Amino acid sequence: MRIRQLLTIVSVGLLLAAITCAQTAIRPASGQSLPVAASPVNANHLLNGGPAAWNQIAAKHVALNRTPPLYDTDEPAAVEIPIVDVRLARAAGKLLVQLSWHDTTHDATTLAETPNTPPETRFRKVPTEADDRFFDAAAVMFPAKAAAGAIAPSLQMGDAEHPVEIYYWNATRGSMVMQAQGRSTTKRTGQDFPANGTYQNGRWNVTFELPDLVAGTTVAFAVWNGSQKDRDGRKYFSVWQVLE
Amino acid sequence: MSKHQYAMVMDLNKCLGCQTCTIACKKLWTDRDGTGYMYWNNVETRPGLGYPRQWDRIGGGWKDGALQPSPLPTMDDYGHAWEYNYEQRLYEGKKQPVMPSPEPKSGCNWDEDVGAMNEDENYFFYLPRICNHCTYPACLEACPRKAIYKREEDGIVVIDQDRCQGYRYCIKACPYKKIYFNEVTGKSEKCIFCYPRLEKGEVNACAAQCPGRLRFVGLLDDPESPVHKLVLVHKIALPLFPEKGTQPNVFYVPPFNPPKRDNYGKNIQEDPRVPLDYLIYLFGPEVRDVIARLQAELRKAQEGGRSEALQLLIGRDAETRYHLRPQLVQIQV
Repeated sequence: MRIRQLLTIVSVGLLLAAITCAQTAIRPASGQSLPVAASPVNANHLLNGGPAAWNQIAAKHVALNRTPPLYDTDEPAAVEIPIVDVRLARAAGKLLVQLSWHDTTHDATTLAETPNTPPETRFRKVPTEADDRFFDAAAVMFPAKAAAGAIAPSLQMGDAEHPVEIYYWNATRGSMVMQAQGRSTTKRTGQDFPANGTYQNGRWNVTFELPDLVAGTTVAFAVWNGSQKDRDGRKYFSVWQVLE
Repeated sequence: MSKHQYAMVMDLNKCLGCQTCTIACKKLWTDRDGTGYMYWNNVETRPGLGYPRQWDRIGGGWKDGALQPSPLPTMDDYGHAWEYNYEQRLYEGKKQPVMPSPEPKSGCNWDEDVGAMNEDENYFFYLPRICNHCTYPACLEACPRKAIYKREEDGIVVIDQDRCQGYRYCIKACPYKKIYFNEVTGKSEKCIFCYPRLEKGEVNACAAQCPGRLRFVGLLDDPESPVHKLVLVHKIALPLFPEKGTQPNVFYVPPFNPPKRDNYGKNIQEDPRVPLDYLIYLFGPEVRDVIARLQAELRKAQEGGRSEALQLLIGRDAETRYHLRPQLVQIQV
């Protein structure tokens, strides 16, 4: 009986520690390191050459977690994407990241273009085709300030002392750079960045061109599955990883 | 809580279903890319499917202090916006008749004037709807971006288009389904109670254009305003679905005296043409008292007396129907 009580206390303690880590700055564990290849091919080829361009670069399988239901009215969701394969390469002063994951549903569309003429002078307005669909997406998050030691910001979009940059790619709406200082503070900067996504044989391969992050920088990844109505914090996420 | 609250009263006995309010709103606010299917103001036939279809039955709102689940209505529920091939007909010399495309299969007020049967007689009435600018907005609570706020100076509920990320939790949470997603901008939109007009002393476009003169606008907390008098003094206007818990600030004078064949002049309680149960479904059990009050006022007038409530409902001029307070505007630099 004593042992069971002790175990309960220890497990509650561990859980509290884990929750605290998720909400505050943390020091990532040593097993969470990401190799960065010095690429033999040029940055443009890596960005736009499709999955074949990355053949020579080893992938690290990064485990994804699913956020628990955030709101009482949320529908529950199964874990359909347990792993994202991450490849990193430095080329011509840029850091390129390829995220690759298995997704049986291709949730993307091409939105009708808005013609250059003002809407009031046109016969036809660009229509909304569907109001209830959500699209596949992925993101890379890293500290906005240069990493001091290996202390990472809160995994929940950073915190007041540790702002983060989020490079977000959406299968329909393209890329955008965002900044955040804690949960629900995410803001679009209005900037975009070079990114490329292809969907083949039930797999997304998405390449991001990031600023050249120094070794020791912490990065985290997220994947949204449109068919599971993912958006906002309803998503898959990794814990912090450290660039080698 | 806001310091003041703009409110609207609509007298359903006067609505003729002409959709002039709908067009006034559409021309002013939703004549842009991505807004074709959306009607911030719509008029639907009751009983009926509503717009979007079955909005009154799919969920949202509050229960015991918690938001209630709801699916997102689909484009089929709203009805796809259609366009006419004017270019082909007018400029390209094609000889087909002007046709809508895509082929319309549903839309707002698609079941116009269908109504329902009460024994052997058909009945229906029109229900104009805008955002209710609720005192406890479920949409505001549901938004994780804090993009929705209730204006402190006048209680109008608006969506900050810079903060909105198009997550659509608000659409699910709204029990009246009065928020719409614009796929072109990737953001959600809703009725803004024409606040830019109110700030200039002009009444809402839907009210200004209404040929039935059935809309009354003012501050609920202003004793001079017609909405204050109708809702709080005469107590003859009720919110829609009060049990949804959001405390709407749009109120309705229920249809209380539609003539039944050969029975002109008898009221709903004596000889119901519109079944009372249906009005209770829409406006809650208090509708019984409201109809009794309206009936008493009508009798007073018929016996040669003067009914302040009915004089107000007639609403002969804009000064009677609207009492705006543009000086409430807080200029933000």
